[in-house]
Amino acid sequence: MHCLLSPRTLLIRTSLAALTLCLTMFLCSLAGSEKISLQAVRQGAPQTGTPNPDYEIFVRIRMPRIVLAAIVGAALAAGGVTFQALLRNPLADPYILGISSGAGLGAMLALVSGLSWTVWGRSPMALFAFAGALGTVWLVWTIGRLTGRFHVTGLLLAGVVVNAFFSAVIMFLVSIAKSQHLHSTIFWLMGNLTEEDFFVLWVGAGCVTAGIVSLSFLGAQLNAISFSPDDARSLGINVERTQLAAFAIAAFITAIAVSLSGLIGFVGLIVPHAVRLVFGPDHRQLLPLSSLIGATFLVIADTIARVVVAPAQLPVGIVTAMIGGPFFLALLARYSRKVYWLK
Amino acid sequence: MTPSVDVQQIVFAHRPGYPVLRDVTFTVPTGSFLVIVGPNGAGKSTLIGLMAGLLKPQAGHIFLEGLDIRTLGVRDLARMVAIVRQDFVPVFGFSVAEVVLMARTSRYGPFGFESKTDREHAMKALELTETAPFASRPLASLSAGERQRVFIARALAQDTPILLMDEPTSYLDLKHRVAILDLLKTIQIEEARTIVAVTHDINLAAQYGDRALLLRPITEARTPTTDRGGPAKADHYRIGPTSEVFTEDGIGEAFATRIFSGPIGREKFFLPLGRMAKDAAQAERQRSSPRDAPKPPRA
Repeated sequence: MHCLLSPRTLLIRTSLAALTLCLTMFLCSLAGSEKISLQAVRQGAPQTGTPNPDYEIFVRIRMPRIVLAAIVGAALAAGGVTFQALLRNPLADPYILGISSGAGLGAMLALVSGLSWTVWGRSPMALFAFAGALGTVWLVWTIGRLTGRFHVTGLLLAGVVVNAFFSAVIMFLVSIAKSQHLHSTIFWLMGNLTEEDFFVLWVGAGCVTAGIVSLSFLGAQLNAISFSPDDARSLGINVERTQLAAFAIAAFITAIAVSLSGLIGFVGLIVPHAVRLVFGPDHRQLLPLSSLIGATFLVIADTIARVVVAPAQLPVGIVTAMIGGPFFLALLARYSRKVYWLK
Repeated sequence: MTPSVDVQQIVFAHRPGYPVLRDVTFTVPTGSFLVIVGPNGAGKSTLIGLMAGLLKPQAGHIFLEGLDIRTLGVRDLARMVAIVRQDFVPVFGFSVAEVVLMARTSRYGPFGFESKTDREHAMKALELTETAPFASRPLASLSAGERQRVFIARALAQDTPILLMDEPTSYLDLKHRVAILDLLKTIQIEEARTIVAVTHDINLAAQYGDRALLLRPITEARTPTTDRGGPAKADHYRIGPTSEVFTEDGIGEAFATRIFSGPIGREKFFLPLGRMAKDAAQAERQRSSPRDAPKPPRA
């Protein structure tokens, strides 16, 4: 049974993907509107009064942003894999159950109400977005559960309706918002990465990594559940507990990603599919590989967003859609004989 | 000897006051093959669901290998009964080997990987069901008959003493139906497993089952009663050797259809004939004077 995934294969592939991510992050840190020299960076922080601008740019501007892109990319890809498995729907993405509109509503409320207080030096926008995302997901989960256990249609419908309703509220707020708020709103809604301070990055990276590792440990159960929840129960899997755990973790890491970066589309939909096309549907492998490849993808996309119209910047969501779409179509054509869900 | 399945006075209603099963009692001896037959809505699949522990009865007891089903957790249950449902095409492209190995998921180690024993069980199930040649192919690329064999392989790999089948042959053509039933009979004999199968194919049920359970919808179910209210209808179900349960009158009444039947060897065949069927008159004649019954077809 050579076709089955062995722990050794998984380890090798995950290590290679991790290596690729590190290499990409390093290379992308060299690109940017300012040209920096590696030698100057290696000299480290200035001991005396002479400033070392190359080092400052590298450590304080480029690295935080690249790390943020990696965190957000990994979280969105892992969230996408999990929601596709739980909803047994290849069209699902991390935003499908209302996380996007909930976070958007939270961010808009923070913006429109003109709150000026800060937490850990951050505007309340991210916190409101985080709370809005989790609150909405909880709402959708509760409504979906009313239609019965294992019934993903109810969950999906609840997600679609809540999404539509909250989007309308967002549009209402946009239309009454002051014009100076509109630019940041639009950037937020299109997905935008900015420089974050290290504390936020560490917390985000820790939570997202822990989430992805725990989801990967649920991989074998997710395989059976994505196949058929009823069958999974007969196979001795506690379906409801696994579903709830996977759902909560995926919602949590997606909410972190959204509150840090706004609504970056496409990563959570395309990366899981691309990885599944190439490596198969086994979630034990799909989760770690998608996360690492999603992180790599978003690091590259964000570098393009930083560089292409420098010194101005594009919202990264535009780049993910513009390079992700054609890339995915090419993959689809190449591996189409493997795509049986198209039948 | 403790029977594999012991169903005692089971009552089940999907809605209060509308029982589907009432005071159903039967046993399935270890290593035997029970076929469950009956019209739509008679509660066949419900009965399978109850035996699989997926549904909880409002009253009565079910014992699997002597153990009360209510005391068994999800994992224990999965080591006692395996269930095969109607064939379906999954959303994601899992391969045959991956699907069969899923049967072992509840026994995986802490890192979510199968042991050597798990692989051996899966391999053995693949070989017994003759699905090993396409083990690496995606399930969705197989024909319905092949796919159903894979689901049976998965149930086998679960390594349970009891196998439950909910209409395993419903979408299959004649050849594949017979192939599946031959396979089930082989499993029953060679692996000494207890098999309970729901089917709409009375003729094959008669040929392959050791005993038969003929279920009929509870007739007064239209008028709400309490779950245990009213006398248990004696004709709610009948259980016994296939040749005793499958009689022309019994089948005809249970399905409320005119039946044309005749002996083959030890068992009979049954053919439903509606009012507009070409040979409906022949069936009517046979009914009025049993001596006119058709000669058994030569073997």
